[in-house]
Amino acid sequence: MKTAALIGNPNVGKTSLFNYLTGSNQYVGNWAGVTVEKKEGFLDNKLKIVDLPGIYAMDTFSNEEMVAKKFLIDKEADFIINIVDASNLERNLYLTTQLKEYNIPIILVLNMIDVSESKGIEINYSLLSENLGVSVVPISASKIKGIEDLKKLLLGGIFLSAPTDNDFHFQNEKEAYDFISSVLLKCINKKHSDKKTSTEIIDRIVLNKILAYPLFFLILFLIFKFTFSWVGQPLAGFLSYVIDDGLIPVLNNLLSNSSPWFSSLIINGIVGGVGSVIVFLPVILSLFLGISFLEDSGYMARAAFIMDKAMRKMGLSGKAFIPLIVGFGCSVPAIMSARTLESEKDRKLTALLVPLMSCNARLPVYALFAAAFFPGNETTVVFSLYLLGILLAFTLGILFKSTIFKKDEEPFIIELPEYKAPEFKNLLAHTWDKGKGFLKKAGTLIFSISVAIWFLSSFNFSGMTDINHSILASIGNFISPIFIPLGFSSWQNSVSLLTGLMAKEVILGSMGVIYGGNLRVSLLSNFTQISAYSFLVFVLLYTPCVSVIATMKKEFGNKMAIFSVFYQLSLAWIVSFIVYRLGILLFK
Amino acid sequence: MSICDLELGEKAYIHSIAGNEKLMKRLMALGCIEGTEVCLKNSAPFGDPLVINLRGCDFCIRKKDAKNISIKDTQEE
Repeated sequence: MKTAALIGNPNVGKTSLFNYLTGSNQYVGNWAGVTVEKKEGFLDNKLKIVDLPGIYAMDTFSNEEMVAKKFLIDKEADFIINIVDASNLERNLYLTTQLKEYNIPIILVLNMIDVSESKGIEINYSLLSENLGVSVVPISASKIKGIEDLKKLLLGGIFLSAPTDNDFHFQNEKEAYDFISSVLLKCINKKHSDKKTSTEIIDRIVLNKILAYPLFFLILFLIFKFTFSWVGQPLAGFLSYVIDDGLIPVLNNLLSNSSPWFSSLIINGIVGGVGSVIVFLPVILSLFLGISFLEDSGYMARAAFIMDKAMRKMGLSGKAFIPLIVGFGCSVPAIMSARTLESEKDRKLTALLVPLMSCNARLPVYALFAAAFFPGNETTVVFSLYLLGILLAFTLGILFKSTIFKKDEEPFIIELPEYKAPEFKNLLAHTWDKGKGFLKKAGTLIFSISVAIWFLSSFNFSGMTDINHSILASIGNFISPIFIPLGFSSWQNSVSLLTGLMAKEVILGSMGVIYGGNLRVSLLSNFTQISAYSFLVFVLLYTPCVSVIATMKKEFGNKMAIFSVFYQLSLAWIVSFIVYRLGILLFK
Repeated sequence: MSICDLELGEKAYIHSIAGNEKLMKRLMALGCIEGTEVCLKNSAPFGDPLVINLRGCDFCIRKKDAKNISIKDTQEE
């Protein structure tokens, strides 16, 4: 089977073309060694298409470029589909001149012909084809016509591959651009217009000195509303209702005759553990739908632009602000959305800081403790925890920036693309891509850990038992001494924190089971105000849940996942210690 | 004179660029080369970063990098 490499600048509709050509017949993965997404798909099962990352040039030292370069040098592509923005050929063709050096036949796809025509640009396709020595296919917004032509050309395999008289080895950028200008002078007839484009008008509002920030926070607020109150969370609630009140009773019935350990494994272990993660799926999908919308519309680049100054202080660029905000919802999609960042360094640093943004799952724990120990001051207590997370993210950002992430300063340059209405089909494809990854990878790991935790909490060395005599309790007793300096050293608390690794809201569930009775009352006899706050600080900061660890491992590998686990554990211990000791000093 | 000295909406021509090698290389790949028309289009609410227009595209760069792009009034040397 022949292989085609799909390559082009960012924001020229590359992903959209890829989806049109391959339909649902695609596979998403990562390129070896780097967190650059690798997408492959098939056209009619006859042609393999590899979607290379969006780049402006082949030689400006980014991971994306190295991936593309290696792919072409290794002769893995039989030909190149080079997609360009027809309304901005000058810059887009710079990459084309560099692609010519690889002596692989090129099909030049001129996308957004309708936009360029509306701008008064007339292109002579055959002359362009002749001058560049490539096949040229124009495509317009409605796509259907152009796409069919392109498919025919791709499957027919007959296209221009003869070299032209022009030599495509340029000494420097200036020579290349001079050549492009000379070609465009021949092939393009441009009626100059000074009319304000719609993008300029929108930017006048969106980037306005007074309106920029309020609008930005309004948009974030709407996405959060969409995710956590209008669509995502209600669907998640419905899903958990289906599992708890639909599936579990049915399973209970079905398994009533099987041995107790088996029904416990299925219901408490697998359905309980995996189910608690699956119910997050609607939340994650909603959040990603919102983020994809921001990305596809062109707003994301503007958000990065206005947040850059503040983010720079912690060694990140403006683009990293979005993942951090998403982190208040759930760290899993937040870490995944760090993919959109320019450099490896930014992606890793962001992923390490994201779990410090207090996620949704920790809120129930705060809420219960605040109500029990700080009646009347609940909001202040909960807010102080969120604030502590933000302050620590900021401090650690500065610390990491000047230590482990010192080298590798990436240049900051972002294109502000023209605004466009996102295509519904693309939005869905984008969103589903992310959701699928979450289900697959996190799902398998959660499955095995759920079974393991279930086993530990249901057995001891003499057989099946209740949780108080289980291996888990022994483990709790074993680790509880490390919590003595923090003020909450009972084995029950240790076990709750341990099971909280599954998902932070599990902490409450475990406490409910272990302490039994009215949890609020039993907590009052087990904590003081100071140790309760110290416990909450620990819950805020300690190792994120397995879904996050699994995501970290999937995106960045084992080393990062392990580092993340231990750095947060130490951070949580140190900060809780300080909080507890200071509390005793000040209030006793 | 550098891009930072332009008024919003004002145009000039690139004279030379200096500074971080990677950034220089990237800017040049985007067509930021001697004699190219450049326009300062916008600045973030606190004055940094800036939006510049090069060959019909808007790019956002930081002030400290924009200082390294020197400009001139005419296209010719």
